[in-house]
Amino acid sequence: MSVGTLLENWSEFRHFHPVDDKPHDPYKWAMSIDLDTCTGCNACSVACYAENNIPVVGKEKFQHGQQMHWMRIERYWSEDDREFPDQGAQFLPMMCQQCEAAPCETVCPVGATNHTADGLNSQIYNRCIGSRYCSANCPFKVRYFNWYDYPTVDNVWPAEMTRQLNPDVSVRGKGVMEKCTFCVQRLRAVEVTAKSEGRIVREGEVQTACQQACPSSAISFGNLVDPESRVHKQWAAQQVVLEADEQEKNKEHGTSELRGYRILEELRPYPSVMYLEQVRESAV
Amino acid sequence: MIDSSFDRRDFLKVMGWGGAAVALSGCGNTSIEDGKETVVSYVEAADYVIPGVSVYYNSTCAQCDAGCNINGRVREGRVLKLEGNAASGINRGKMCGLGQAGVQHHYNPDRVREPLLRNGDRGEAIAWDKAYALIAEKLNGVSGDEVAFLSGGVSGHLKVLLGNYLESLGSKNHFVYEAVSPAVVRAANKKAYGNEMPRFSINKAKVVLSFGADFLGSWVSPVHFSQQYAQFRKGVNGQRGVLVQVESKMTLTGANADRWLVVRPGTEGVLALGIINALGASGVALSGDAAAASQGYDKARVTSETGVSAEHLDKLVALLKERTPSLVLAGSAAEGYAHGSQNAAAINLLNQVLGNVGKTIEAPAVLPFPQMAPAKGSSLALKSLNEGLAAGKYKVLFTYGANPVFTAPGSMKFKDSMGKAAFKVAFAHYLDETALQADLVLPLDSALEDWGTQVPEYLADGAQINIQQPLMEKLHPETRGMGDVLLALIKQRQADAYKGFEDYYSYLRSALLQNKGALGGGGSDDDTFWDATLTSGIIKLAGAAGTLSASSAAGLKLPEAAAADAQFPMHLIPSVTANLRDGRHANQPWLQESPDPLTTIVWDSWVEIHPKKAAQMGIVEGDIVEVASKTGTIKAQAYLFPGIHPDAVSIPLGRGHEAMGRYAKGFGVNPFQILDAVYDQETGELAMHETRVKISKVGQRVIVVKDEGVIGGKQDGRRIALSKTTDQVKLSEEI
Repeated sequence: MSVGTLLENWSEFRHFHPVDDKPHDPYKWAMSIDLDTCTGCNACSVACYAENNIPVVGKEKFQHGQQMHWMRIERYWSEDDREFPDQGAQFLPMMCQQCEAAPCETVCPVGATNHTADGLNSQIYNRCIGSRYCSANCPFKVRYFNWYDYPTVDNVWPAEMTRQLNPDVSVRGKGVMEKCTFCVQRLRAVEVTAKSEGRIVREGEVQTACQQACPSSAISFGNLVDPESRVHKQWAAQQVVLEADEQEKNKEHGTSELRGYRILEELRPYPSVMYLEQVRESAV
Repeated sequence: MIDSSFDRRDFLKVMGWGGAAVALSGCGNTSIEDGKETVVSYVEAADYVIPGVSVYYNSTCAQCDAGCNINGRVREGRVLKLEGNAASGINRGKMCGLGQAGVQHHYNPDRVREPLLRNGDRGEAIAWDKAYALIAEKLNGVSGDEVAFLSGGVSGHLKVLLGNYLESLGSKNHFVYEAVSPAVVRAANKKAYGNEMPRFSINKAKVVLSFGADFLGSWVSPVHFSQQYAQFRKGVNGQRGVLVQVESKMTLTGANADRWLVVRPGTEGVLALGIINALGASGVALSGDAAAASQGYDKARVTSETGVSAEHLDKLVALLKERTPSLVLAGSAAEGYAHGSQNAAAINLLNQVLGNVGKTIEAPAVLPFPQMAPAKGSSLALKSLNEGLAAGKYKVLFTYGANPVFTAPGSMKFKDSMGKAAFKVAFAHYLDETALQADLVLPLDSALEDWGTQVPEYLADGAQINIQQPLMEKLHPETRGMGDVLLALIKQRQADAYKGFEDYYSYLRSALLQNKGALGGGGSDDDTFWDATLTSGIIKLAGAAGTLSASSAAGLKLPEAAAADAQFPMHLIPSVTANLRDGRHANQPWLQESPDPLTTIVWDSWVEIHPKKAAQMGIVEGDIVEVASKTGTIKAQAYLFPGIHPDAVSIPLGRGHEAMGRYAKGFGVNPFQILDAVYDQETGELAMHETRVKISKVGQRVIVVKDEGVIGGKQDGRRIALSKTTDQVKLSEEI
């Protein structure tokens, strides 16, 4: 088999998850983030710490690159060597993109990270042996490793602070990898409720912690296969197709008047997060 | 596998809910933490506690004065997370990072837990009744004029009670102090619009021109403004709102601007008058005042004084003329000078010229209970307190909700002045710098343990009173609510008048029930009204609409630019960041580890310097530089930052604590310490941006601890964060 054949018939070789005849039934959780309304304020990131029991590692460990922020704001400047950034900065909330063909999944020697039926890239903490291959293979660098046993590290959760920990989320010990889960604990709770009522989760019934906090409502989250969901409508309006590695709208000119895009789409991880490009006024 | 229609999870859930009567009440989640050493099943479960099921209570965020309504998640008697209250017209279910960290204030390991009495350098724990007796003893024989009470901004019933207490002491010395407040802008707004804080409708404006107002980060009501901003960006019929920010150091709002115009520090007013002049020249009718004030501010002069290019000025004027209504905001960068009032007046005049008053600047609602309206803090109050203390005028000093030893400008030498009061009482959450100078420290409940009412200064959605209620039982038995402490103190003076109130809760309840009719509870009985009030956490009031009164700007004149100071050639811009503000929350570790949005630095202070200037001075990132003013010197790491005027350096406020707790003490430096005593000439407020400094390398270098990677803010050719211009997109077709 030549590389050419492999690339030509990529979809046959590199399957989506799940691979049975009814993928994403009834759920495919997905997100869209409008970079034109995102102000870079970091509220999402702090909300994520609060919801997901993320340890504060302190200055020294942060310097060593051991920070655990599942949700981070990247800040970029334009690169045309102007003296002042006179059109502002670009902010980009970055977290696990919950790829449909996740590069992290295939390299895990113990199957600790794999795909769920509702389209999440899951991380099974008590299966993880800490090889960190997944992090090495992640193009977005959104996986965070527990170099320390944070529950026992001084001043991470001293005394009363332990009482703030969210009982719905595991506190991770040393040697395991962790990352954004799309607030799976919230998803499972509403999925169970919906199931017990014989329906599927309705649009607006569940929010991720970052989405709920976001002061400018830049984040939408929902069920991509539910035609009623805002996320579905946004993806459709932006002509961003989950299973494409190059969007039709871009094929002719390399770009379009629609702002929706996925980061590093060309690597074919098929991310579940669509971003909407920042806009700047041309008249001023 | 069993039929999944009734799986284990459902089963457990059914068991959990079985037979439980859920009674929601805001108080008394008792005894969950009692006996935690032994595992006992809930033989007699408290009926509002269902293991594994969360309950939610509405309350009010106390991390700043914006008065966002919050909804706390409580499980097994512990508050776990705060969300915005979706029914709130202020924050509409949203919350900032600072607000999220409120739980870390509550659970903070460094909170003061019992009353402490000074014994030499140490504080010794004493009982509350002894502490109260001591206060009575110290007040004995002291006249009301010799008592001073310093507080941060207060509102609602606490303000009423505090006023009554001071009255009972015969004291008129209530100093309301906020280190970071829009006090000069308030005064300028009062003149220009007849209101200190009118309602700004960013969402109705097609262009927002902000002179240093960081309304997305730390200015007035940032969560509310962020919501408006999102609507403004979406615009009407695909006509996206345009944001132009004018400032000398980029704020978070500046980083989101379509055009960020860097001006020479202090020339904001010049640019505003220049725009008025140019609008007049392009045919916009100017009033006599506006024409007189802007006379002589032609393009050549304005571009040379401000540093804004003629091209950008022309484009901005054309845009403002073409797209109406617009909105012009005067913020903290514009007001922080000796001529801050004139700057703000010139900026407000621009709103009148553009016809924005009444369109995007609207009258605020009037609170029907003026006695509950917020007492607004300013730095002028601290100045007069300091003068009184230095003159030995006050024998007893109370401090609450402010940390003046940390936030007073170094030139004021507040710590020395404070030492002259014979007896100092600090009502405190932490042993901060001010509490350490006190003789008696009284520990307060956290905002999540206490009762209260709050009225925000900025009434975003009409008149309302916010309810603060305990989300859980007290963590520490010996802390008290501020209202309870005041009530106990006032009973020392007027026992009979207050004997009917067992505690602050009963005071609050009876005060609100007395006015039930006016508070919208006319037809309902007391308990129904009270339960409804606690459930919603907001009392909406049918306040009368206020009025705007446009007034004349006659006599507006900007001073000549100050001569350069050869010894101190650089401007110091002490920046206010969204998370740390004036430093009162620096001991909340989420805020310390949350990267600064613009520099991505964590856990430390930094000196922002323009790369061009840094290259001239041979400074690279991480060099420790000494920043010296007439008042003092601090040293911090340099960070090369393109969003700053080359003649200025900027250091963020809020860090550099010498006390307060494990997450605050020893991290960074405190620029308040080197602020010179320069005041706005009209209002007397501290001119925060007037301090001139010189900088020099000290010969050390550190690695800057920050979130951005080694190539800084570059994408290195990868398509990560993308951007388009308005002529490349069709926003009208979006949903």
